[in-house]
Amino acid sequence: MEGTSPVQSSKNEYSNLSLRLLDVSDIDDFMVWATDEKVARFCTWEPYTNKEDGLNFIKNTVLPHPWFRAICLDNRPIGAISVTSNSGNDRCRGELGYVLASKYWGKEIVTRAVKMVANTIFEEWPHLERLEALVDVENVGSQKVLEKAGFQREGVLRKYFVQKGKSRDMVMFSLLSIDPRPQI
Amino acid sequence: MGEITLRPYEVSDIDEFLEWANDEEVNRLSRLEHFNSKEDALCYFKEVVIPHPCYRAICLDGRPIGFIAFEPGSGTARCRGYMGYALGTKYWGQGITTKAVKTLTSTLFKEFPGIERVEATAGLDNKASIRVLEKAGFQKEGILRKWMVFKGITTDVLMFALLSTDPPVSTS
Repeated sequence: MEGTSPVQSSKNEYSNLSLRLLDVSDIDDFMVWATDEKVARFCTWEPYTNKEDGLNFIKNTVLPHPWFRAICLDNRPIGAISVTSNSGNDRCRGELGYVLASKYWGKEIVTRAVKMVANTIFEEWPHLERLEALVDVENVGSQKVLEKAGFQREGVLRKYFVQKGKSRDMVMFSLLSIDPRPQI
Repeated sequence: MGEITLRPYEVSDIDEFLEWANDEEVNRLSRLEHFNSKEDALCYFKEVVIPHPCYRAICLDGRPIGFIAFEPGSGTARCRGYMGYALGTKYWGQGITTKAVKTLTSTLFKEFPGIERVEATAGLDNKASIRVLEKAGFQKEGILRKWMVFKGITTDVLMFALLSTDPPVSTS
């Protein structure tokens, strides 16, 4: 046969990744990861049990959020990523958070989404000098995401944060505006 | 050295408060800004010091020579609280702040039962403050880069913490 045909690797299935605003019309996709107890394990929330709670979360938390995006595969939400903002003497830092439907774990999707955020947030928020993320000491998968995305591990903050009624040790990671931007 | 004790500040302490709070060296190293007038300081007393959940005068023979404060967190941060302190320069180098920190932390976990972690930060070059925290039994957890805006510049800080479960340090 003449010519070469493109190699069909499984990677192509996940190549069309994008970030966009999440809306109430995305509720069904949202419920896929929001109801999953594997996803909720290291989150402050319990798995959602009804659509109305999901809609309230989108209306009350997502829509007014300073920076919240759906992680989309072929333009359909499969997770979310967000950055909080602070005021006063803390305004130089923002906290990164993310969540992904468990079906898509292990394919470097969140790592790519984090890199996308790292390559845009410092330009969108010129006052931001530090993007930080706190990860439960037992959440090794999430720690690997941040390491691969070029964040620096700064230390373990002991009994830092209450998650589902218990204080947890958290690993602190950071990426500064002056650090090299991760290559996408 | 005389007796070091902690007690709440009173409005009548305003002159002693201003003596250390307007000290140039104290201003340089702490987040406290210089007070331009007694009125400004009284405002600060009414708005910050008096209503504060835990703001104490560090006293030498009953006279205020500095402050130590603890601010508990809320929500998902309710297991932790932040401690800060400052001392008039002429009293530095005698272990007074260390004594004040040990005294406060010895009762803090009982006074604030939900608190499991007391944290404090120090500028990387603030050797005196770093030594205070180490002597008071705090554990160094890491350097947080460009953590906060200090006097208009983002600065790195050393994060220290003492847990309710950490071994107690003697208050002597």
